Amino acid sequence: MQGGILLPRLDRAGLAFGAVALGLAILIPVLNLLVSTDSPFHVPPHVVALMGKYLCYALLALSVDLVWGYCGILSLGHGAFFALGGYAMGMYLMRQIGPRGMYGHPTLPDFMVFLNWPELPWYWLGFDQFWFAALMVLLVPGLLAGLLGWLAFRSRVTGVYLSIITQAMTFALLLAFFRNDMGFGGNNGLTDFKDILGASIQADGTRSALFAASAIALALGFILCRWIVRSKLGRVLIAIRDAESRTRFLGYRVEQYKLLVFVTSACMAGVAGALYVPQVGIINPGEFSPANSIEAVIWVAVGGRGTLIGSVIGAVLVNFGKTLLTNALPEVWLFALGGLFIAVTLFLPRGIVGLWTGYWTRRREKQAASITTQPVTEGQ
Amino acid sequence: MSTRPDPQHTQLYLDGVSVSFDGFRALNNLSLIIMPGEMRAIIGPNGAGKTTMMDLITGKTRPDKGTILFDGDTDLTQMDEAGIATLGIGRKFQKPTVFESHTVWDNLDLALAGKRGPFASLFHRDGADDDRILSILDTIRLSARRHVLAGSLSHGQKQWLEIGMLLAQEPKLLLVDEPVAGMTDAETAETARLLREIAQTRSVVVVEHDMTFVRDLDVKVTVLHEGSVLSDGSLDHVSADPRVIEVYLGR
Amino acid sequence: MRMLLLLLSLLVTPLAWGQATGPLIDALATDDYAAKEQALTALTETGDPAIVPALKALEGGQLYRRLTDDKVVIGRENGDNISLTDPLSGDTLGSVPAGDLELIRVNNRLRRAIGASLGALTLRSPDAAVRRTAAEAVFVNRDAAALPLLEAALAEEQDAKVKRSLQQARAAILLADANLGTEEKLSSIATIADKGGQAALALLNPLTGSTEPAVAKAATEAVRLIDNKLAWAAAAQNIIYGMSLGSVLLLAAIGLAVTFGVMGVINMAHGEMVMLGAYTTYVVQDLIRAHAPGLFDWSLLIALPLAFIVAGGVGILIERGIIRFLYGRPLETLLATWGLSLVLQQAVRSLFGPTNMEVGNPDWMAGAFQVGEVTITYGRMWIFLFGLIVFAALMLLLRRTPLGLQMRAVTQNRSMARAMGIRTARVDALTFGLGSGIAGLAGVALSQIDNVSPNLGQGYIIDSFMIVIFGGVGNLWGTLVGALSLGIVNKLLEPLAGAVLGKILVLVGIILFIQARPRGLFALKGRAIEH
Repeated sequence: MQGGILLPRLDRAGLAFGAVALGLAILIPVLNLLVSTDSPFHVPPHVVALMGKYLCYALLALSVDLVWGYCGILSLGHGAFFALGGYAMGMYLMRQIGPRGMYGHPTLPDFMVFLNWPELPWYWLGFDQFWFAALMVLLVPGLLAGLLGWLAFRSRVTGVYLSIITQAMTFALLLAFFRNDMGFGGNNGLTDFKDILGASIQADGTRSALFAASAIALALGFILCRWIVRSKLGRVLIAIRDAESRTRFLGYRVEQYKLLVFVTSACMAGVAGALYVPQVGIINPGEFSPANSIEAVIWVAVGGRGTLIGSVIGAVLVNFGKTLLTNALPEVWLFALGGLFIAVTLFLPRGIVGLWTGYWTRRREKQAASITTQPVTEGQ
Repeated sequence: MSTRPDPQHTQLYLDGVSVSFDGFRALNNLSLIIMPGEMRAIIGPNGAGKTTMMDLITGKTRPDKGTILFDGDTDLTQMDEAGIATLGIGRKFQKPTVFESHTVWDNLDLALAGKRGPFASLFHRDGADDDRILSILDTIRLSARRHVLAGSLSHGQKQWLEIGMLLAQEPKLLLVDEPVAGMTDAETAETARLLREIAQTRSVVVVEHDMTFVRDLDVKVTVLHEGSVLSDGSLDHVSADPRVIEVYLGR
Repeated sequence: MRMLLLLLSLLVTPLAWGQATGPLIDALATDDYAAKEQALTALTETGDPAIVPALKALEGGQLYRRLTDDKVVIGRENGDNISLTDPLSGDTLGSVPAGDLELIRVNNRLRRAIGASLGALTLRSPDAAVRRTAAEAVFVNRDAAALPLLEAALAEEQDAKVKRSLQQARAAILLADANLGTEEKLSSIATIADKGGQAALALLNPLTGSTEPAVAKAATEAVRLIDNKLAWAAAAQNIIYGMSLGSVLLLAAIGLAVTFGVMGVINMAHGEMVMLGAYTTYVVQDLIRAHAPGLFDWSLLIALPLAFIVAGGVGILIERGIIRFLYGRPLETLLATWGLSLVLQQAVRSLFGPTNMEVGNPDWMAGAFQVGEVTITYGRMWIFLFGLIVFAALMLLLRRTPLGLQMRAVTQNRSMARAMGIRTARVDALTFGLGSGIAGLAGVALSQIDNVSPNLGQGYIIDSFMIVIFGGVGNLWGTLVGALSLGIVNKLLEPLAGAVLGKILVLVGIILFIQARPRGLFALKGRAIEH
C-alpha cells in the first residue's frame, strides 16, 4: 500500500518499544544487583519480582488485545491459557525439587506422595526437561485454543456467545484443576519451588534474570503483534472485526484468520503464565477463575483496545493501582475495580491511548484532506 | 415453465430451488438462467425472495432442494461463501458495507483478487498492485479521497466504494442488491452508467425497486413473486403483464 | 410341610410362655458374655412379649443388678439416685443410690443378638406396622433362633403385607441353613427375589455360586431381576433429584431469559440480583425474629414481594444509569455489568460482612416424604412448584398483558414501536426491572438451599447463561426445557462421574452443543435473525 511513508514510522514504534523494554531488562537488574542497598537507586528484590509480575500481566493483556482489539473476539478465557502455561512451568519446577521435598521421594512431588500415588502419571513425564516444559507452555494453550477456536469459528459462534463459551471453558478448567485426582495438586496447586535451570529460584540473580526474561518476552510479543497487525493479515483482521460477512463475501475464510490469531494469542498468554509462575512462586486453580480473565480484558480497555501499547500501559497501571489499594484500603479495591469497568465502558471507550491518538488523528485527517487535493504521485 | 436449456453454457443456472424458514416458503421452485455477459434486473414486491435468492447463490443459505450451478458445472450448494467468492461471484449488499476503519485504499487493496489464505496475507508484500487500485479509484471517482477512512464517506460514495471493491475482486458474476437506495438522482444516473460499463465484461444481476433506474439500465427484467418467477422480458413487456399489475397494485 | 410347622409352633409357644421368665432374666446378671448370650437365647425362646422392656433396657444400658439381692432391675437416673422398676411387671421398686447397683454391660456381639431377639419378640405386637418392622429386623439378622417365633407369628398373621414380610424373613433364615433341600431353597429364593432391595441382593449373591445348578441358576436370575429393579429405582431417584436441581437452575435463569433472551442485554450482574433477593429474605427474617416471631412461618411469603421490589428496583436503576447508554454494544455491556457485579458484591460484603448469613426454613419447608423408593424433601418440592409458578406467571405476563405486548413490540421493532406511541425507554426500564425482580424471587428460594453470602450469585451466572443459550435465546420454553434437562443430565452423570466431573462434562457438552446449534435448542432461523 502507500507504505513508503508509513513503514519506517511504524517500525520505529515497534523498535522503540523493544528498546525501552531491553533498557528495562538491563537497568532494573543492574539497580538491583550492582547498586548498594543504601543507595536511593537500589531496587529491592521484591520490587523486581513485582515489576516482573506486571510485565507478565502486560504480555497477557497484549495477547487479549490482539484478539479483541484487532479481531473483535472478546475472550473471557485468556486466563485459562495463562494458567495452563503457568502449570506447564510449575510442573517443570516441581520436577526440579527432586528428593528435596518434605517426604523426600526421589521423583514424586509431595502432594502425590501424600495421596499415595505409586508413580508419576504419564502426563508428568518429560517435564523434568526444560525444553519439553517450554514446548508445552506453547503447545498446551495453543492446542486448547486451536480446538475451541476450530469448533467455535467453524460454526460461526461470535460476539457474546463466544465470550460466554470461553468463560465456560475457563470455569470448567477451574473445577477440573481443583480435583485432587487430576494430578495437579488440587486446590493447593504447585508450589515450594527450589530451582530453575539449576539456579535457586529465591536468589536475587535469578529474580533479576526472570525479570529480564519477562521484559524480553514482552518486547518480542509486542514486535510479533506489530508485525501481524501491520501486515495485510492485520488489515483482514480489522476487516473481520468491522464487517465479518463482507470479508467472507470477498473470499476470505474468516475462520482460518480467527483461528490463527486466536492460537497465536493463546500461546503468548501461555508464555506470560510460564514467566509469571517462577516469579510469584505458586500456581493454583484460582488462576483459572473467570474473574481473572475478565480483569485482563479491563486492563486492555483502560489502556485502549486495538492499540497494543495501550494494553501494556493499562495492565501496568491497573495492577500498580491494585498493589497500592490492596495494601492501603483492601475493601476499596473491588469498588475501584468495579467502578473502573463501568467508567471505562461509559466514558472512555477508546481508553487512555485512544484519548491521546484521537487528538492526533483529527489533526492528521485535516492535513490529509488538504494533501489529497493535490495530484497523486504513484508508487509511494 | 418451458423446457430448460442445457446448463452447459450458462453463467448461472438455478433450477427448482426451494427454501423455507420455519414453515415460511421464501423461495418456491425458482428457476432462473443468466448467460455469460448478460445483465439482468430483478424486481418484485417485498418478501418476493430477492435477497434470499442472493443468499442462496452466495452460499449464505442452503436450499432445501434444487440445483444452483455456476459456469454450467460448479455446484454452488456445496460451497461456503469464501469459496464461492473466489470462484468469481461478487456481491453488493443492500446496505452499503465497507470496512469503515480502513482507508478507501485499503478497502480496495483487501478486495483485490489474489491469494486469500492467512499465511499469504501475513507475508504479503504491499505495493505490487498499486496501478490496479489507482485505475479502480478512477472508475469509481474516489481518487481524491483514497486516504480517507471509509467510515467518513458519504452514503453514495460508500455505495461506489463497494462497487469498486467488487470490481477489484474481478468477478465473472456480480450480484448487486438495491445499489441506488438512498442516492440522489444524479448519483443514480451515474450508478446506472457505471453498472452498464461493468456489464460489458461480466454478467450482472441487479435487484432494484427503483423503476426509473431499471429503465435506465435497459435490460431484460425478471419479476419475482412469492418465491418464484412471475414474469420476464423487457420492462415494457412485464409492466403490461396483468399478473404483474395485479401483484403490484393488488397489495 | 406347612401343617407340620404350624403344629410345631403351636406346641412351642404355650409351653414357653408357661415357664417362669423371672429366673431367666436374673441369669443375665453375669460377667461372662457367653453366659449372657445363652441367657438371652433362653429368654428369646420363651417368646414372651413381657421381656421386651428388659431387653430394651439392656440394649440402652439401663439394666442393673441390685447388689443387695442380685435381682435384675431396670433403672432410670433420677437426680443422684436411680429409680428402679421390675423388668417384667413394670412395678416401681423405689429409688436407690447408684452405688447399690451394678450395670449389666453389653458388647457389640450381644447388642446384635438383642436386636434379633427384639425383632423376633415384637413379631406379635398388636400394631401391624411394628410387626412388619420386626419381620424386617429378622430378615436382616437371619437369627435361626427366631425361626420358631417367626413361624408361630406367621400362622396367626391376618394382615397380607405383614404376612409377606414374615414369609420373606422366614425364607432368609431358611436359606442360611446349608442342609436345606433344593426345593425349599428354590421357593425361598423366589420369595426373597420378590422382596428386592440391597438386603435381598446380599442374601442371594452368595447363592449364585451354589454347587446345585438349579439353585445357582435361580439365584442368578433373581439377582438380575433385583439389579434391574434397583437400577430403575436409582434412575427414578436421579431424575427426581435432577428435576429439583433443574428447578433451581430454572429460577436462576428465568430472569436472565427476560433480560438476555428477550431484551438481548448481557447482564453479568444477574447473579447479584439473585443475591440481593436472598439478603432481602435474611433481613425480613431478622426483623421477624426480633419483632414478631409468630410470623416466622410467613417470612418467605413476606420476603417474596419485597425481594422482587428490591432486585427489580436496583435493576431499573442499573438500566437507567448504565445499560441504556450501551444498547447495541453487547461486549461493553458485558464488561460494565461485570464491574457492577463486583461493586454490588463488595457493597453487600461491607454491609453484612463476608460470612454466610443464617436464613432459616419455615416449618412447612422442613421434612420430607416418600414416593416409592425416593425421598423428596418439602423444601425441594416447594422450590420446584415455585419455579413452575414463576415461569407460568411470566408467560402470562408476556402473552396476556398490555405491558407484555409492549415489551414484545419494543424488542421486535424498536423504531416502529416508538412510532406507535410506545414509550420505549420506559418499557426498556420495566423489562429490565422485571427480569431483575424475578432474579430477586429466585434469591428467596435459593436462600433456603444455598449459603447466603456475597458470592451467592457468582455460582449461578455461568449456568444461567448456558441454559438460556442452550434453550435458544428469546425462547422461554427453551429456557424451561434447558434448565430441567440440564438438571437431570447433571444428576444422571453424578453417580457415573462424580459431582464435579459431571458438571465439567455438562459444561463441555454445552460448549460442543453450541457449536452444532449456535442458536440453541429451539432456534428461530431465517435471514432476519442475523442482524
